[in-house]
Amino acid sequence: MGDLLSGQLVVATLVLGVIYGLVALGLNLIYGTMRLLNVAHGEILMLGGYLSYWSFTLIGIGPLYSMFVGMALAGALGALVYHFLCRRVLSASKLVEQIEANSLLLLFGVSIILQNVVALSFTATARAYPYLDQIIPIGNFQVTANRLVVLVIGLAVCVACILFFRMSMTGLAIRALIQRPDAAALVGIDVERVRLISFSLGFGIAGLAGGLISMLEQISPFMGFPFTIAAFVVIILGGLGNLYGGLAGAFLLAVIEVYGVALTSASMRSILLYGVFIGILVWRPHGLFGVRGAAR
Amino acid sequence: MRRLPAAPLLILAGGMAVFATVPLYGSDYIIGVALTLLMWIALTQSWVVLSAMTGYISLGHAVFFGAGAYVMVLTFGVLPFWISVLIAGAATGVLALLVGYPCLRVRGPYFVILTFGLAELVKYIVINIEAALGKFGRLLMGAPSLDQLFYVILVLAAGSMVITYTVRRSRFGAGLRAIRENEGAAETVGINVARFKVLAFALSAIIPGMVGSVVVLRTTYFEPLDVFNPITSFTIVSMAIIGGGDDVPGPVYGACFLVLLQELLWANWPEIYMILLGAFLVGFVLGAPDGVQGRLAVIRRRMAR
Amino acid sequence: MTLLRLNDVSRRFGGVVAVDGVGFSIESREIVGLMGANGAGKTTLFSLIAGNLRPSAGEIRLDDRRIDRLRPDQISCLGVARTFQIVRPFAGLTVLENVAIGALFGGSREKSMARANADAMEVLEEVGLADRAGYYAGSLNLSGRKRLEIARALATNPKLLMLDEVMAGLTPTEGADAVAMIRRLYEARNLTVIVVEHVMGILMELCPRIVVLHHGALIAEGSPQEVANDTRVIDSYLGSRQGTRT
Repeated sequence: MGDLLSGQLVVATLVLGVIYGLVALGLNLIYGTMRLLNVAHGEILMLGGYLSYWSFTLIGIGPLYSMFVGMALAGALGALVYHFLCRRVLSASKLVEQIEANSLLLLFGVSIILQNVVALSFTATARAYPYLDQIIPIGNFQVTANRLVVLVIGLAVCVACILFFRMSMTGLAIRALIQRPDAAALVGIDVERVRLISFSLGFGIAGLAGGLISMLEQISPFMGFPFTIAAFVVIILGGLGNLYGGLAGAFLLAVIEVYGVALTSASMRSILLYGVFIGILVWRPHGLFGVRGAAR
Repeated sequence: MRRLPAAPLLILAGGMAVFATVPLYGSDYIIGVALTLLMWIALTQSWVVLSAMTGYISLGHAVFFGAGAYVMVLTFGVLPFWISVLIAGAATGVLALLVGYPCLRVRGPYFVILTFGLAELVKYIVINIEAALGKFGRLLMGAPSLDQLFYVILVLAAGSMVITYTVRRSRFGAGLRAIRENEGAAETVGINVARFKVLAFALSAIIPGMVGSVVVLRTTYFEPLDVFNPITSFTIVSMAIIGGGDDVPGPVYGACFLVLLQELLWANWPEIYMILLGAFLVGFVLGAPDGVQGRLAVIRRRMAR
Repeated sequence: MTLLRLNDVSRRFGGVVAVDGVGFSIESREIVGLMGANGAGKTTLFSLIAGNLRPSAGEIRLDDRRIDRLRPDQISCLGVARTFQIVRPFAGLTVLENVAIGALFGGSREKSMARANADAMEVLEEVGLADRAGYYAGSLNLSGRKRLEIARALATNPKLLMLDEVMAGLTPTEGADAVAMIRRLYEARNLTVIVVEHVMGILMELCPRIVVLHHGALIAEGSPQEVANDTRVIDSYLGSRQGTRT
């Protein structure tokens, strides 16, 4: 049992949890405020990863800087996708179910396009670059510096987002829109603007997370999909549209994944992921912490 | 058994007769393309019975295709080909019955993601079983000829169209479409919605299972990642969306269109094909949610005026 | 003969008691009005009878058979039909298809599509929607949708028809037409009817007997005169909300 509390596993869990947390935060923002299911979320991550990769290998700018550029560009892309595609789905669909189903198909189309545009431009080869990979001994275990950096920055971004939702007027408006979409407009919230910001911010966080991931893992045009799935697992665990529940779900899934694999074998990872996912959807469709009705 | 009206039956018989002659003069390439087209028609027709009629969109129909293929692989050389095909259909139908009840309580987009997850789960389970058995890919020597496979798929495609046509015009189909429009109202007018949904799920699983069991023999090599490829599910949904509607013509239009596109592009420019596929999906969802069939219906109405 | 009997039926949602120990019975061939302010529990009561909700306590009997543990489709097959206050048409299907689905299921269970369509057409004539048979249900106006709700319910061939505010939101002329139509259907189809309205005038006119709910509890029942003179009704209902309508 001592092995299970080893620093290696704990750090791995925390790093994975914080990455899932970021991805799920963006997905939740977009779903919560608009009921749009962004299945292209992983592709935004992938784009962020490529930006950091090329910045580093071509002009020598490290991911610590480029990921903020990635965040800005992803945010701008989000604004464009929202303005030209999603707004039409929102205005053309009368029922929430229609919005959800149509957005899923629409953004699925966007996701295929992004994957293959990148594959066409940069080939499908997986790429990686060495960055802060020196080993730091902490007590009786070792960890690469980049993992610690990812952990610190990821946590900082999560905290910043939470503060933003708690403290700022815009953050308050976003939470209001998530809670009561019909009532938000009545109290004078510019729903259109808040939606644009939420969508853009959701994409932006994903772009930034992509930069972080590129420090640790290989990137490829098709890397996004597993993250999209993991993010869906996380936000369903935490309750769709429940921002804080999503963060809790992220760490829960990280624990399940890291320790599940440690206790069985690496080939069990996908079975665990999808098994948990299906179990939750079938038995607790409103999430572990979800309020009934929040997801409807 | 309901008697089919003459006109659609004639069209179906005519179409089948035309396709049946393909192996007589076509090269292996032509036969292959025709087989691919028929395969997608069969898969998409089956999908329509569940998803277009009830509104429960399955993004996991690859699971039935793959499970059917796996049944064939496991029984290959042990049982006669025909028996294996039938067992594959029965097995996927039973699989759908088993998972259908819990899955179909989950609605809307949750169901979409759930079906996708289910297909992936089964895929990884099969991969792990194969690994545990020490098999890393299997060779399938002595499969029936391409012509034979073609005729089986032709029959399955025709069968799938008959099923869609019959269901669409039956009491059962009326119940399914009522569920799509408003599930609460459907049960209040006396439709046993749980049973209807599960039956539709099973019905839509049988043909894909049989198709999978036949198509896996086209190549002499079995690889779980191929037969459970999620792209199969995506393609089915794309064909149905592009074709549109909840009746026989939609899937035929959708399949013809994408198979043509695939033949033109896939071999040399797979990325371009996928990009166009995505673009068509976006375009149809935004611009023509009723698909080609819906567009044609509008045009027909204008002409009639 | 008693068609429907409710014994001490309650329904809680979390801490809120929407229906609180309600008991009454309805004879075959009655038209009963169910009255009460918004939130009095009328729609919840319909949902309990039709099986859309299950009671937290109490029992409901139809023809002396317990139905409170049955599913909505089973109850429909026993001859109970309801309309929804917020209409639920099968919007993407035609008006005829909507009603034909009623005829194919519920108490009718028509096996042939052709006969279901013929039956549906007949019902559409009765409710005055025959000229709209080929339109999509989603294209109807509110009055049309309310009629469609009634037509679809009727097509299931019910013994007991429960109408949930089918006149709310209609213009006075449309409302008067609807009252006449309900009376006609009641006579022609051998129905027992429960009518929910929160507008008193209509119920007084249509129903020889009225049941009044207040905060989920039954506070009065009797003839329109008795109910109108009941002090509790006046206090709880008329006092706060004049049931006038022109």
